[in-house]
Order: sequence, then C-alpha cells, then structure tokens
Amino acid sequence: MNNPGARKALLVGVAGTAATALGILVSGPHVVATSWLVAFGFWAAAAIGMLMMILIWHVFDSSWSVVLRRQFEHGLAAFPWLALMLLPLVLASWLGQGDIVWPWMNPLHPVHGDKLVQADVLYEKKEAFLNIRLFTILSVVFFALWIWISARLRKASFTQDSDGDVRWTHRNRFTSAFGIPVVALTLTGAAIYWFKSLEYHWFSTMYGVWYFSDCMRGALSLGVIIMLWLHGRGDFRGILKTDHLWAIGQLMLTFTVFWAYISFDQYFLIWNANVPEETFWYNIREYGDWWYVSLFLVFGNFLLPFLLLLSYRFKVTHATIRRIAYLILFVIFIDIAYNILPALKDEKGNPLAFFSVRLLWSVTSLAGVGGFCVAAYLRSLPTTKLIPIRDPRIGECLHQNE
Amino acid sequence: MPGTRPPENPPMAEKTYGLIATFDTPGALLRAAERVRDAGYRKWDCISPFPVHGLDAAMGVGRSHVPRFSLAGGITGFCTGMVMIWYMDKFDYALSVGGKPFFSPLFAFPVSYELTILFTAFATIGGMFLVNGLPMHYHPVLKYEHIRRGTSDLFFLVIERADPRYDAENTRALLEGLGGREIAELEG
Repeated sequence: MNNPGARKALLVGVAGTAATALGILVSGPHVVATSWLVAFGFWAAAAIGMLMMILIWHVFDSSWSVVLRRQFEHGLAAFPWLALMLLPLVLASWLGQGDIVWPWMNPLHPVHGDKLVQADVLYEKKEAFLNIRLFTILSVVFFALWIWISARLRKASFTQDSDGDVRWTHRNRFTSAFGIPVVALTLTGAAIYWFKSLEYHWFSTMYGVWYFSDCMRGALSLGVIIMLWLHGRGDFRGILKTDHLWAIGQLMLTFTVFWAYISFDQYFLIWNANVPEETFWYNIREYGDWWYVSLFLVFGNFLLPFLLLLSYRFKVTHATIRRIAYLILFVIFIDIAYNILPALKDEKGNPLAFFSVRLLWSVTSLAGVGGFCVAAYLRSLPTTKLIPIRDPRIGECLHQNE
Repeated sequence: MPGTRPPENPPMAEKTYGLIATFDTPGALLRAAERVRDAGYRKWDCISPFPVHGLDAAMGVGRSHVPRFSLAGGITGFCTGMVMIWYMDKFDYALSVGGKPFFSPLFAFPVSYELTILFTAFATIGGMFLVNGLPMHYHPVLKYEHIRRGTSDLFFLVIERADPRYDAENTRALLEGLGGREIAELEG
C-alpha cells in the first residue's frame, strides 16, 4: 500500500486493538467488550454525522460546504470498517453466554430484585424487540443502508469530477431527500439497540436525538480538524476561507446548544415525572465518581464550548477553533462513555467507578477503532480530486463571503 | 433639532454636509474606498444598491458591536427568569408540587432560557437601532438629486465635512483622483 499515512493509521488501529485484547487478561471480557462499544459508538457517531451532514447540505443546496463535503465523502469510507468493528461483539454474544455486552441477551442474567432476565416482566414486554436475532438482523440492515447511501453519494460526486454532468448533483439531491429520514430512523434504532438497551428497563424518547447531536458535533469537529490539517499541509491554501471556518463554527455552536437542549430535556422530564423505571438511570450516574462526570458534562460539554463558540474571533482563528474542536471530540467521548459504562455493575448492582484501570480499555479501543477509521479515510483521500472541481456550487464555495 | 428653524442665510460652509462622488462599478467603488481608508478619513460612507463583497474590509470597518448588546440581553434574561421564579415559588406563593423543592434551577430553567432568548432578541434589535442611530427619518444625502440611482445602478462615496481630515479642495481632489464623477457638495 503506497500510502504512508494510511499505513501508520492502520498500525495504530492494530496496536490499539491488540492492547485492548490484552485488557481481557486484566479486566475480563465483559469490561473490555463494553469499553470497545464506547469507542465504536464514538467513531460510528462521527461517520453517521458526516453522512447526515452531507445529506443535509445536498437538500439545502448549500454552497459554502462544497470543499468540506468532499472530505466527508472520504470519511464515509469508514462504514464497512465500523461494521467489522461491531462484528466481534455480536459474534461473542452469539457464541458465548450472550451477556458479554448486552445483559438481556442472556435469559439467566440476574436483574434487580433477585430475578432473572427471563422472569422479568419488563423484559417479557420488550422481548419482541430485544432478542439477539432481531438485533443482528437490524444491525446488518443499519450498516447496509448506511453503506449503500454512502456509495450512492460517493459515486455521484466522484464521477462528476470527470464528466461534470449536473445530473449527478440532482441524483445526490434525490438520494438525500429519502436518505435523511432513512438515516434518522436507522441511527435512532442503532442508538437504542447498541447503547440504550444496556439498561433495558429504562425509557427515553430523547435517546435517538441525543445520539444524533453527538454525531453532528463529532463530524463537525473532525471537519474543522481535517480542513486545518489540509491547510497546514498546503493542499487547502487559497481554498480555505475565513468564512468557511465561520460557517462551520456556527454549526458547532448550534449543535452544542442542541446537545444541551436534548440532554437537559431528557433529564428534566425524568426528574419531573419521578418514575422509578426512569430515575434509576440517573441515580446510578450520580453514584460515586460518576457524579463528577455528570457535572463535567454540564460544564465541559455545554457551558465551556458554548461560551467559546459565541466569539467570532475564536471561530475563525485556526489555533483556537482547532482546540475547541479537540475539546468537543473529548467531551462527546466522555458523553458516550457516560451513557455506556455505568452499565458495568459490581455485585451490589452499583456502577463500577469511572476512574480506574478499566478506563484504559476505552482509550485503547478509541485508538483501535479510530486507527481503522482514519486509515479508511486516508486510503480514500488520494483516489479523487481534492475538491469537487465540477460541482455547480464550487465557484460560490471558493469565493465564500459573508 | 426638532422644532428649531435653521437661521436665515447661514454661510455656505455651515450648510455643507460633505462631498459626494459617483462611481459606475462596484470595483471602482471598492478601490476608491481602500484609498479613502488609507488616506485616514473616519467619517465617510459608501452607498451601493447591493452588498459588495469585501467592501467592509476596504472601508476598514470592523465587526459589529451588536453582539455585545445581545450577550448582555441574554445574561439579563437568564437572571430575570431565575430570580423571578425563585422569588415567586420560594416566597411569594410557595406551593408544594409532587414533593419537589420549592425552588430548583431545574424547573426554572425552561422559563429562564425562554427569557434568555426573548431578552437577547430585544437587546439585539435595540442595540442594532442604537449603533446605527435609528430611527433616522432624514439624512442629508437624500437631498442629492441622483441619490435614487444609488438604489439601482450607481455607486456613491460620501465624505462628511465633520471628518477632521476634510478639506473642501483636497478632499475633492482626492475623490477626482480616485475616478469619482460628478463630485458635488451636499447640503447640510
């Protein structure tokens, strides 16, 4: 493979995966598999966010985003790899006792109140949805739809580089019009299956939208990092304008507020209704050091990025907006960990502490899954023109001005 | 000044608002603006039928101050909501609902944030009026006979007499040198 960057990323992926696998010896398969799910959730969010962003840009005929859209199209190359990353968890659930990650997959898994999953009325009511067969089928369907829509978008955009036919733009607009509801529903289903079902007693109608907000924030922050990386390397000199950063910074601010709105709504409704089937989810997230993680999310995931992104100067200064992008990536990783890791319980049913050696496996998994995703992006990058040179909106994009 | 009549036959210089020059293309206006900016003028303006990209920078105009009003309005709105609900629910009409505390920032939050938005909107509009000196029912350039073409096909550059660098001869020479046509004095 004549692509040193991609090879390096692939090495990081292999090393991260190997380090995570070693973690099984230290913390056991249940902890390590759940940590892997955190990293998988993080990178899947970034890929889904890129897909959703491209669809939205096409539907709104957005002009400022054309040069960034090409980078996100390369990012979509990560979907097959992400499917591969989920595969070990699904296989282990089929081949083992079932509850390596998701407790409801094992009918003999104990639940609160000295019962087993199979005798739990809340499980019986949800059994039609929560069974491993449907979980596997739908996970395959989710990925198939994402890969298919991505392939349509990529093919149309890449082919337009050579023939300049405006029909490709129309075709992508058509793909986007049906793609938005399809991706919205599949990402909601995926978030419910992969993350929310870890505590299947719980209800929240906000969950899919919560994951969507992290998807968008992840994709936009990676977009900033990619654009500035390409600018620093020289490729984007003369292409990247102040106004591109301003536009993407405004979207980052929007989705920071959106995340806060969704997360607060979820908390507020549950706090107000005060129903035990719902409040327990937050109660365990106030136990031990999770309380500090909760507070960190309020201030680090909302207040700090919100205040920073209000400033025009911060949004258009390369070094500053890059730091803000890294900050947001960090906090959404913590946010996803906050949603997944408290499913790891001690023998009394309390969540295992956040700060411990177990956290290391989430970090190694982050490098593992991330290495493969970045390699997929870097392998796709040199296969096309740097920017969609024959897109009908490319002129407007290159002369972007507020 | 409303209600005061202008004095009879004031000297000509007193009545002058400034000089207006006509340009035919946005490019000519842009280049002229850069030169006027570099010549150190402060009180001057461009009139164009449509937004000209890059004109802000050519005029040396910084970013708007309106966001500061917005921020102040937002903070005021948030505090108003919190304090109002805290006073009402804790002291003025304390009511126990579902065993919840009399005051919690949680249930005060939706109202506070609605007020944040409302006050931000008010402060933004008010601040915009303030920094633009609105409402302004009259402006001296409106007396210029061709001013209406500044809303269709011509571009104007106006330098005010109030500018410290203003000098009837030199300023006129500058505008002529920049390619301005039909340079005229505006009545004050």
